[in-house]
Amino acid sequence: MIALASIDGGALLKMLYWSLAAGVGVAIVFSLAVLGATRASDMRRLRRSNVATAYATLAVVGLVLSVGIVVLGLILVAHKS
Amino acid sequence: MSGDIILIIVVATAVAFDFTNGFHDTANVVATAISTRAIEPRAAIAGASLLNFVGAFISLKVAATVGQGFVAARAVTTTVVFAGLIGAIAWNLVTWYYGLPSSSSHALIGGLVGSVVAADGWSAVSGGGLFGKLIVPAIVAPIVAFTVAGLSILIIYRIVGRLRPGAVGRGFRFGQLASSGLLALSHGTNDAQKTMGVITLALIAHGDISAHGFHVPAWVVILSASAIALGTFTGGWRIIKTLGTRIIKMDPAQGFAAQGAGAAVILAASSVGYPLSTTHVISGGIMGAGAAKQVSAVRWGVAGNIVAAWVLTLPAAAVVGGVTYAISRLFGSGAVGPVVITVVLLAALALVFTRRLQQSTPAPVPS
Repeated sequence: MIALASIDGGALLKMLYWSLAAGVGVAIVFSLAVLGATRASDMRRLRRSNVATAYATLAVVGLVLSVGIVVLGLILVAHKS
Repeated sequence: MSGDIILIIVVATAVAFDFTNGFHDTANVVATAISTRAIEPRAAIAGASLLNFVGAFISLKVAATVGQGFVAARAVTTTVVFAGLIGAIAWNLVTWYYGLPSSSSHALIGGLVGSVVAADGWSAVSGGGLFGKLIVPAIVAPIVAFTVAGLSILIIYRIVGRLRPGAVGRGFRFGQLASSGLLALSHGTNDAQKTMGVITLALIAHGDISAHGFHVPAWVVILSASAIALGTFTGGWRIIKTLGTRIIKMDPAQGFAAQGAGAAVILAASSVGYPLSTTHVISGGIMGAGAAKQVSAVRWGVAGNIVAAWVLTLPAAAVVGGVTYAISRLFGSGAVGPVVITVVLLAALALVFTRRLQQSTPAPVPS
């Protein structure tokens, strides 16, 4: 019981959900960026410029969001410490 | 005068530990990016070194945990800190020699606990602190990294699975430049702080800092950051080989997922002050990214050897730390013991390195 009482459940949970949110979040948005970039290239080759532009936008948004999550995470770590 | 000499030896030993930490843990940071050919080895190690340095300035919460969370301040003398550091360095070098990626962090805390027990008995060790702030996070963090990496790679394959493999590979190799950089940054954040914590403990024992107003002096931060960065730059080819290719063969997406998961867990842990092992976390991430694709792809035998090294780390470093303290006390309470031990250790190190350099050349770079 004493050992269990020494565990800071709040800190442990914080580590858990920040890890999940940041790790999985970046994986999702960066995958969307790769999807957008690859499809945009394919569509350009097929001369479907409107669709290509839409996919390119997805790529840029995915990349910006990836960088945003990382920067936000670093600010949170620096701010909390 | 004697106290000053011991303090200088302790600071020098702590810097040496920090160097071996960087040297030992380079693999954790760069192995996946090198094994997927996302980055050329020398560039990976140079970049990791720089980001290690920068990362050390992000947070000081882990340093506070190391300095205050595990042992009673009354039991800590500069000789105790010295003996603890020797325990950690000895264990780091043994695992490096055999190519086993064990935990530098746990070696440090194990060494410190062993020397405190030898000096003042078990009552000076905070069992609750060790359990709640070290052992539980040490078990939970690799599992979280395993889960995050596994979930990430499943989602990644779901999103990009039907695309051209070449384009996807290029995309995730580019992503790995960022994820390995982030992992290097998080490594510097968490690991350099352990040395800062130990040097600060020695400064408290020496009377330079009050135990009630725990703070890390700026010169300690700069010194620790420089030592870990230099150690990382010097590199550790043997362990890179174990982590990068022997646990699992990875594609760039898996490498990205493993590194992203590792960085996320280490940074999240740093923000709450947990002194994690980057080795444990990134190995969990690598295994998670591998197992999610195919359970049989993970070489569980190698993973088992790594787990065995982890389990041994705390007690082994504690024993060396305790024995070092006992030997040091044979020479009295002055500086003679630490000086003799340092000279013997340096001679042993020179011998081991000479033999190692004669026996092996760096591992071949994948082409």
